[in-house]
Amino acid sequence: MKHVVIHDPTLRDGQHAVRHRLGLTALRRYAEAADAARIPVVEVGHGNGLGASSLQVGQAEVSDDEMLSTVREALHHSRMGVFMLPGWGTCDDLRRAIAHGVDVFRIGVHATEASLAERHLGFLRDAGAEAHCLLMMSHMASPGELAEQAARAVGYGARAVGIMDSAGHFLPADVTARIGAIVEAVDALPVIFHGHNNLGMAVANSVAAADAGALIIDGCARGFGAGAGNTQLEVLVPVLERSGYATGIDLYALLDAAELAERELMPAPPVTASMSIVSGLAGVFSGFKHRVVELSAAAGVDPRDVFFELGRRQTIAGQEDLIVDVVTELSNRKTDS
Amino acid sequence: MTPTVGPRRARPEFAEPLTVAVIGTGAIGRDLVSKIDRSPALDCRLVAGRNPESAGLRYAESLGCATTAGGIEALLAAPRPFDVVFDATSAASHRDHWPLLEPLGTLVIDLTPSKVGQMVAPTVTGVSPADGRNVNLISCGGQAAVPVVHALAAHFPVTYFEVVSTVASVVAGRATRLNLDEYVATTGHAVTAFSGVTDVKAILNISPAVPPATFRTAVHARTAGADPVALRAVVDRAAAQVRSFAPGYEVVACTVTDDLVTITLQVMAHSDVLPPYAGNLDIINSAAVMVAEQYATRPDRPTRTGVTS
Repeated sequence: MKHVVIHDPTLRDGQHAVRHRLGLTALRRYAEAADAARIPVVEVGHGNGLGASSLQVGQAEVSDDEMLSTVREALHHSRMGVFMLPGWGTCDDLRRAIAHGVDVFRIGVHATEASLAERHLGFLRDAGAEAHCLLMMSHMASPGELAEQAARAVGYGARAVGIMDSAGHFLPADVTARIGAIVEAVDALPVIFHGHNNLGMAVANSVAAADAGALIIDGCARGFGAGAGNTQLEVLVPVLERSGYATGIDLYALLDAAELAERELMPAPPVTASMSIVSGLAGVFSGFKHRVVELSAAAGVDPRDVFFELGRRQTIAGQEDLIVDVVTELSNRKTDS
Repeated sequence: MTPTVGPRRARPEFAEPLTVAVIGTGAIGRDLVSKIDRSPALDCRLVAGRNPESAGLRYAESLGCATTAGGIEALLAAPRPFDVVFDATSAASHRDHWPLLEPLGTLVIDLTPSKVGQMVAPTVTGVSPADGRNVNLISCGGQAAVPVVHALAAHFPVTYFEVVSTVASVVAGRATRLNLDEYVATTGHAVTAFSGVTDVKAILNISPAVPPATFRTAVHARTAGADPVALRAVVDRAAAQVRSFAPGYEVVACTVTDDLVTITLQVMAHSDVLPPYAGNLDIINSAAVMVAEQYATRPDRPTRTGVTS
């Protein structure tokens, strides 16, 4: 049987769904449940990673230091992961995370911008830490371009590389082509797939990724994540097992962890709401949803128009301030006509 | 809060322009050379890079500047020191360059986020360094944000500042990409230094959007009870001053929601060699050239050092 490593960013990517307000009790309780299920890696942090608590995307309920020490104490079998975006977090944040005993570091960059991770991947390599590089919004780049960027990340020191379907835009054939190209480009190194469920394809896309040679697959309990959510972990794991991939995860404990997550982490599990379908089709970062809906309602414009316009402008995560512009423009256009 | 000093344009009344050298031939260096070339107060005598094939060196040659691929060593080997050296390399390189340049008595204008020299934001500090011979231009986001955070802090009780800049990927060179940590630290440091607010955060996005995103900076401030009309007036006044040297500087949004103020600034480039979206390079280079031009008019400017060209 082939093996895949499940990486669980429930306590990081899920933060986008609750405006980064997960408290320490919730973090500890889920981490303990994930640990009991033998989930290989549990990732924690602000939704945008280390050092990202901000007015621009939302201020975290608790500090990075508190999150890391709390989850560290709860994990005995699972390894602890963190995420960081260069330009948001810095090597100082990585240094502190190393001191907290983080095992897996993921540096996220836009699909075509691997060189933004050069400094931090090099820093982690020199520190002897396990560094991964994730190419975000990967639907905005071709398979060949992604393969080239992934190879560069390996050159900088990444020990695993992969793609995030940040906007939940892919269909399985898109994933097959991209993962296949990356696997070929990075030789024996593990390749990662991180899905979102805007078009209901996250589990199918993840299986396609595994079939194309991905060795690390991400999933969140109940799909906890921005908008329509991530790949639903407790569905992903048994589906992978039935497809012939061993995960080493205890199914019942996994199902228990998912129930705990639903009770203690989220007001309600993500649903594929109309707005999420629109953001998936538009190819826009799901984390924009709250801001788009709020600002559109205040200005009396159709949030679907706002999403398609943001997609037309190829807006990326971090450009949240553009939402105000688009809403204002559409509102003015409406007044003028 | 120190009173705001308006920038003064150097006038073309120089018997002898200052001799100038530029180290670094990336996106910043190239635009800098074009701005120096236009200035009657400055005479570009040497452009130093590392890569003999670099487009930046070829561009400098096309303007008639002497060039070298011998880097800082070639610059130091000049028979006489230059009046002004612009450092457009990287923060780490600047830390190596400064001890080599300091003994020469040259005015060093540093465009990297090294945090080594005296920080200048023209409309806030003026462009005439009070002391020291190392002037630091902070960062592109710093140049865009400092005039506004300085004005806001002078008029409203701000408890937190956040400065989020977006730069188009195509105008973010390798040094910029390697210096994201220094960008974050130096920009945050400048916001604190010029506002007195200690709780600050700086963020930089490199956007690969097509067509390229115009350089913009969002300034978020936590402050109680800001009147939107008074706020807009304060921000517009600060922006008008910045336009005296960076004409593409514009306030595109200014909103108050509860105790949160957000001001979005955009800078279009007005340059011979830059696309309009590269306002990040235009604002920092325009500020740097003004510092040199102002230095050229100073009565205490050192007697002509010069070099044989």
